[in-house]
Amino acid sequence: MQMSVSEQVGGVSAPRVPDPVSVLVVEDDATIRRAVQLSLERYGYRVAVAVNGLDGLEAFRAGSHDLLILDVMLPELDGIGLCRRIREQSLVPVLMMSARGDALDVVSGLEAGADDYVVKPVDTPVLVARIRTLLRRATFRPAQPETTPARGAAPTNPAAASADTGIPPAELVFGDLSVNTLGLEVHRGGQPVALTPTELRLLLEFAAAPGAVLDRRRLLRDVWDYGWEGDTRVVDLCVLRLRKKIGAERIETVRGFGYKLVRD
Amino acid sequence: MPLLNPRALRWKIAALTAAACCAVAAVIGVLVHQAMAERSEHTGNERLSARLAAAEREYTRTGSAPLEVEVLTPEQLDAPLARALATKDPAALYATWNDRKPPNWYWMWAAMPVDGGRVLVARTDMSSEVRGLQLLDRSIVKAVFAALLVVVPLAALATEPMNRRLRRGSRTARAIADGDLGARIGPGGRARDEITEMSAAVDEMAAALQHKLEGERRFTADVAHELRTPLMGLSTAAGLLPEGDEAAELVRDRARALNGLVEDLLEISRLDAGAEQARTDAVPLAELVTDIVRRTGTPTAVAIRATPIVETDPRRVERIVVNLVTNAHRHGADPVRVAVEATATGARILVRDQGPGYPAALLTEGPQRFRTGTPERGRGHGLGLTIALGQAKVLGARLAFANAPEGGAVATLDLDGGRGSVPAGAR
Repeated sequence: MQMSVSEQVGGVSAPRVPDPVSVLVVEDDATIRRAVQLSLERYGYRVAVAVNGLDGLEAFRAGSHDLLILDVMLPELDGIGLCRRIREQSLVPVLMMSARGDALDVVSGLEAGADDYVVKPVDTPVLVARIRTLLRRATFRPAQPETTPARGAAPTNPAAASADTGIPPAELVFGDLSVNTLGLEVHRGGQPVALTPTELRLLLEFAAAPGAVLDRRRLLRDVWDYGWEGDTRVVDLCVLRLRKKIGAERIETVRGFGYKLVRD
Repeated sequence: MPLLNPRALRWKIAALTAAACCAVAAVIGVLVHQAMAERSEHTGNERLSARLAAAEREYTRTGSAPLEVEVLTPEQLDAPLARALATKDPAALYATWNDRKPPNWYWMWAAMPVDGGRVLVARTDMSSEVRGLQLLDRSIVKAVFAALLVVVPLAALATEPMNRRLRRGSRTARAIADGDLGARIGPGGRARDEITEMSAAVDEMAAALQHKLEGERRFTADVAHELRTPLMGLSTAAGLLPEGDEAAELVRDRARALNGLVEDLLEISRLDAGAEQARTDAVPLAELVTDIVRRTGTPTAVAIRATPIVETDPRRVERIVVNLVTNAHRHGADPVRVAVEATATGARILVRDQGPGYPAALLTEGPQRFRTGTPERGRGHGLGLTIALGQAKVLGARLAFANAPEGGAVATLDLDGGRGSVPAGAR
């Protein structure tokens, strides 16, 4: 069970990170921009800001950022358009920040390639918790000996034969798709597939239990670190994007339950 | 509308057509029957008068009558014939009487007074005429039935295009009621009648409704944006104020309160606009409720009496339970207890406290916005229960407020869509 947000960040005032993580905040409201910048800087992040979509695109291209926070309603180029432009050339984690929170905003943001969304007003601790989850995913290192037995998926693993040696197989093959769980590389038909950290994390979740139906709640908890308060549309839209990259038939929808990876 | 529904428009119109057919047939039948009856009467009369005239001539000449004509004294006459003779038109030469009694059926009698106080009585057999009349009646009835056999199905079939248009109208209206605001009946066909007019009126109404609702939704979304943007600036900036400072704490507290109020208002207006749709999942309710109560951070006891799995929207259940629990702590008194039970159709969540109970107005009228009932129920905006009720409606669940006999308020949320229960030891 995931820890609640308040527990995760409770009592954390300003832990300095040795190598500051760079966050780009694109927000048109001056107060929010400055306040978020100051708040995140207190948590030890290096924060760059941009005031509109085009500025944001320029700032993104100019520097290397570990994470982007985009407002949806931006002048010049809106957050959704900006996210789409960024996804054309980068897999950097993107967190959308919407003031409207209605279905259309959320869905189009996630369709454009955002990894998660928050609805304004968002408390700084919550924002930091979401940032940490996204960054943890981006710097994800699989620790299979601990995680696979816990999921009870090891016996169903197609390459489980090598499990007796105690070393989990690094290369999992599903049809024309191969997933290297150590090098975190994905190939389809010999061609490398570029996945965002969230998509990769989701694929690894499926690969750990091929053929098993994973329900949305479980994926939301294990990949996005949400409890019951999370929005399962995040999962649906990420699965949609993952399918576009690894082949639509690879992940099957089990109506009313969730998704499963097709082994063959 | 099933084919066999006797109250369907189709059968009403068929019945109306049948009634019209029968009425026309009855009028024509009666007229024909009368004309035929008159004619046979006339024929009988002609036969009798010719016979009587000849008999009279013979009687005056010879004092006797031909064989088929009797010469009787008035006393010898049958009573009905005597009566007919007594009431005879003085200008007429004879009186007639129809004898319908077997075995004489059907004879027409005629009596003609002659000199010498005698009466000449002649009769003629009318049975062939009467039988002809009966056959005519029977064939008219047969013809009417044959016509009905053709006309009723034809009328029922002829209503089909009309029925189809009406059915489309009701389907569309239902689709609109179910939330498809873009549904329209459309012009459909070349007919220009009342149905076309009604369809056009319904379409206009739907368009007006859609326009209004979309306007409201847009307004809510715009208000949300306009309010949340400065609020986010305010609360984030307030978070930057030094920790432990009393003034800063006041600002943060008020910013939080304002946040809560704005979120509640936006939620209510979204619920009012009908913009909310449940996103359901199979949810292990006991686990969900335990988690929700834990996250409220309040001293609330949770009693799990069953572990049902329910098809519902967990985020809305959370909104309801959080609002009920917060309300219980704010207006009721400790201990606040939450219970999860299984029911025949799903599950039930109970939230009770040991406070003064819900005010009478809330029990009778339901929760009212910005009204907390009585001053002793403490502060608050009275929005929480309104939201809980609205969210329950979106879920298709029933939320009831009551006061326990032993004191304290009890809110009961009944959720449908049971999917069995969590197997023991699964988690």
